[in-house]
Amino acid sequence: MATTFTAPKLSSPTFQTLCRNLPVFTPVPNTLSSFSRHRHHYRLQLQQQRRSLFVVRAESENGSEPLRHYDFDLFTIGAGSGGVRASRFAANFGASVAVCELPFSTISSETTGGVGGTCVLRGCVPKKLMVYASRYSHEFDESNGFGWKYDTEPKHDWSTLMANKNAELHRLTGIYKNILGNAGVTLIEGRGKIVDPHTVDVDGKLYTARHILISVGGRPFIPDIPGSEYAIDSDAALDLPSKPEKVAIVGGGYIALEFAGIFKGLQSEVHVFIRQKKVLRGFDEEIRDFVGEQMSLRGIKFHIEESPQAIVKSADGSLSLKTNKGTIEGFSHIMFATGRRPNTKNLGLESVGVKMNKNGAIEVDEYSRTTVPSIWAVGDVTDRINLTPVALMEGGALAKTLFQNEPTKPDYRAVPSAVFSQPPIGQVGLTEEQAIKEYGDIDVYTANFRPLKATLSGLPDRVFMKLIVCAKTNKVLGLHMCGDDSAEITQGFAVAIKAGLTKADFDATVGIHPTSAEEFVTMRTPARKIRQGPESEGKTGQEAKAAAGEFHLRLMLIVNLQYDAKVAGWWKESFQDSFSFISESGLCAMPCHASCSNFLHMSSKKVKIIWIIFSCIL
Amino acid sequence: MARKMLADGELSQTSEEESQYDFDLFVIGAGSGGVRAARFSANYGAKVGICELPFHPISSEVIGGVGGTCVIRGCVPKKILVYGATFGGEIEDARNYGWEVNEQLDFNWKKLLQKKTNEINRLNEIYKRLLSNAGVKLLEGEGKIVGPNGVEVTQLDGTKLSYSAKHILIATGSRAHRLPIPGQELAITSDEALSLDELPKRAVVFGGGYIAVEFASIWKGLGATVDLFYRKELPLRGFDDEMRAVVAKNLEGRGINLHPQTNLIELIKTDCGIKVVTDHGDELIADAVLFATGRLPNSKRLNLEAVGVELDKTGAVKVDEYSRTNIPSIWAVGDVTNRMNLTPVALMEGTCFSKTVFGGEPSKPDYSNIPCAVFSIPPLSVVGLSEEQAIEQANGDVLIFTSTFNPMKNTISGRQERTIMKLVVDAETDKVVGASMCGPDAPEIMQGIAVALQCGATKAQFDSTVGIHPSAAEEFVTMRTVSRRVTACGKPKSNPE
Repeated sequence: MATTFTAPKLSSPTFQTLCRNLPVFTPVPNTLSSFSRHRHHYRLQLQQQRRSLFVVRAESENGSEPLRHYDFDLFTIGAGSGGVRASRFAANFGASVAVCELPFSTISSETTGGVGGTCVLRGCVPKKLMVYASRYSHEFDESNGFGWKYDTEPKHDWSTLMANKNAELHRLTGIYKNILGNAGVTLIEGRGKIVDPHTVDVDGKLYTARHILISVGGRPFIPDIPGSEYAIDSDAALDLPSKPEKVAIVGGGYIALEFAGIFKGLQSEVHVFIRQKKVLRGFDEEIRDFVGEQMSLRGIKFHIEESPQAIVKSADGSLSLKTNKGTIEGFSHIMFATGRRPNTKNLGLESVGVKMNKNGAIEVDEYSRTTVPSIWAVGDVTDRINLTPVALMEGGALAKTLFQNEPTKPDYRAVPSAVFSQPPIGQVGLTEEQAIKEYGDIDVYTANFRPLKATLSGLPDRVFMKLIVCAKTNKVLGLHMCGDDSAEITQGFAVAIKAGLTKADFDATVGIHPTSAEEFVTMRTPARKIRQGPESEGKTGQEAKAAAGEFHLRLMLIVNLQYDAKVAGWWKESFQDSFSFISESGLCAMPCHASCSNFLHMSSKKVKIIWIIFSCIL
Repeated sequence: MARKMLADGELSQTSEEESQYDFDLFVIGAGSGGVRAARFSANYGAKVGICELPFHPISSEVIGGVGGTCVIRGCVPKKILVYGATFGGEIEDARNYGWEVNEQLDFNWKKLLQKKTNEINRLNEIYKRLLSNAGVKLLEGEGKIVGPNGVEVTQLDGTKLSYSAKHILIATGSRAHRLPIPGQELAITSDEALSLDELPKRAVVFGGGYIAVEFASIWKGLGATVDLFYRKELPLRGFDDEMRAVVAKNLEGRGINLHPQTNLIELIKTDCGIKVVTDHGDELIADAVLFATGRLPNSKRLNLEAVGVELDKTGAVKVDEYSRTNIPSIWAVGDVTNRMNLTPVALMEGTCFSKTVFGGEPSKPDYSNIPCAVFSIPPLSVVGLSEEQAIEQANGDVLIFTSTFNPMKNTISGRQERTIMKLVVDAETDKVVGASMCGPDAPEIMQGIAVALQCGATKAQFDSTVGIHPSAAEEFVTMRTVSRRVTACGKPKSNPE
């Protein structure tokens, strides 16, 4: 395959600074037919021996243009989201590019991977497919309320799902290979290892490149406790040979919650063990409370402040999980969703001097450049924001920086994200806590309503929405939602928030009726105003209410209802009307006028007290 | 209570003048626009009365109900039925995901209808409570205008009450209208379609507007055989042509029989159902025939001629930008003015009216970039200009970005239905002037896009937004390649109508 292209123009001063230490590239047609490979390879080794001279000369001459032949302009290690994006775009800009990737497998290891990477093979895609599959059980329940009846309860056949899912993954990995091929990128199967700043070894063969990109991603991490060999990680959880009857999930992050929803929906008994009091550390506090509550209502059992200490396998093959609070027996599977670690081992990074942080993540500058000028890194391996679209952004920016003469920094402001828990979460911008820290004075708008679908289905599903607005500038700083379609709804608002729009802009937008999303443009009265300084009104429910001014306190209840079905039942019956009233404000023509409910969860060891404050504009 | 009275933003002179009237505002019609205007005006301190016909799911000259079309005979019950019907497709899709569901599913229409009616009744009560909480006096009966400041309410028992009001607001909405063809009395309108005793097994829908395609989708999803007749080549006139074609394809894909460019000319009652005759000479038998052939403003029985309120030729009340009629003390909002007949628009008009008349802040409703949705299955949602409108209005080139894809869910379910998204961009300013989408969740997705458009977001700003992966909506921020560029002098594409 011959690749010819025009050398990039080096007009930008920034770019020139950027590549001052790089041997400047001269395009050479590159031949890599299978026939010539061996000879070629031999030649590479010769070149390699001469290479150090070139570098020295390049540095000493500083700016002159030494002749230097590389096999590729860019060699990418790892064909996941970031690597494929950078490689394709680089090739589109005219660079000669190769990418290496491990052989395909649904489970990743030191020796297996596959084109497409985590997102396509062991992350977003299979996860979402499983979410789709598992959501049906909730839909069957909902449909009962809409007049649909099933003679026998729908049953789920695990093997059909796995077969169809894996067929789709094979199709996708094929598509990714085609995409690379069509872009003119050379795909090499094997494990890439960096030998020196311009050379990569793939299973014994050496390739030289002007730039090397590390985009090897991350892998699940299981802490070393007795019996941890019996635990599974998310890779395995996505490809189980049979349905788990009773599963323990250790962890409170998004992966844990997503799998809890998947297994619950596919009719397993699900227990989630979290170290802290709440799930989803780092998310908005109200969202954390709300999603925990909604998932509990769907039958997921949360064990809070409970850390695993050991796993024991019994004679009958079932697993017991020993925690700091006791031992729970009878699990068919124990899954650890306890974080992911960058895949930086055995890449040869230490020997070439690529610096890593203490978690093993590669340290990079704003342009994704490592401490070695010719080596770059994008995606999860850099542990910045570990999301596919962020890796895509980083990969795209890198290709522009290197091959389009347009130094581009990825922009990490207002990156939206979703948790595909059931119900799902969407968020963009700052949490309330972050906003207070950064801006001090903010207004918080919330809506907590029963969606139209739930009024018919009779299920206890609710939707929570929240807007955080800067009091000084009126800019919308953050948007959070938990409820059906959150991920889809959040995307459009992310455009608005990224563009720096104000609350007034939101208000000026007409709603789409009847939707849940219209609630975001019809929030008229702040639930609370938070002000710093002497006249600080704090953020407790009481003070917030006072701050809201127009609110009239109607009813305050303090109920002890956690896990007390009787009390909860009574409470629901007694106040259903009030609740529905709030909910209706959400979905009928008068949105939001009566919606103000604050849930303050105060957990003590055994008793959870929920304060419910109903307020209404009169 | 100290009351600020304003007309056209000016303070009225004295409190004596106020006392001449029974009410500061009297509203005829308690639907979306009327309730909003009444409540907001009351919140500004005005003394407000409102009248509405007695509650009934099917409207007529003498029955209606607090909540109006949207709540009782429109958006809300419609959406409930769409939810119900969507499960039909969902259950089919579940099978390839490994769910074993009986071949023969039982759907109980009466149960759905009962639950829908309960919900509507509940909402009707809530609306009444909203009014009373706001301090608005609600009267049941038919309202008529007897003078620029006089209203007469005929109660159920025939007694008539007369009131004077400084301002009168007409918010009587509109009603479905049947085409005058032989046998038209055998057909039903959307009012009845939302309250049928039996689910029709064979349904005929006549009309190409959003109501027609929504009901076609509902009935099909619930298991009926559906034939949809419309006059144009494609349904949904006024929407983006490419979207119209996709909607037609999807309706067909879901098993609805489409009959474009076909009119119904006669309905005949037979023993085995209603015989439907088309202008192509075809005949078919149906259990129900729905006329979704437009709606007309409810302006006939208001006695408007007596005071000289001007109507246009369709019977819509003519108003200025502030919703004021040619009689300075009489105003009108919502469908009765036939501007843009959508609930949120009526709400906006009602709010602006209150601000103008009682809030001391003259406010014009802003009709630009109003998003809307068609709840067909799958739904369509749009905001801003269609491709055709953009080309017509553009000074320079127009860039069209489209994305057509197989939604991830379908990769396993096997459903052959593609989602389409479109952004229309002004090449000169880079502003996104229109967005549209046909596919699952389109209305929920479009709301946020509408905020961005409302404030003149550019394509560059869309591009700089990071996607949410994996979602359908992320396509809107990852459309990198222009699908076509239409030059300013270039003739717009031929219209398929």
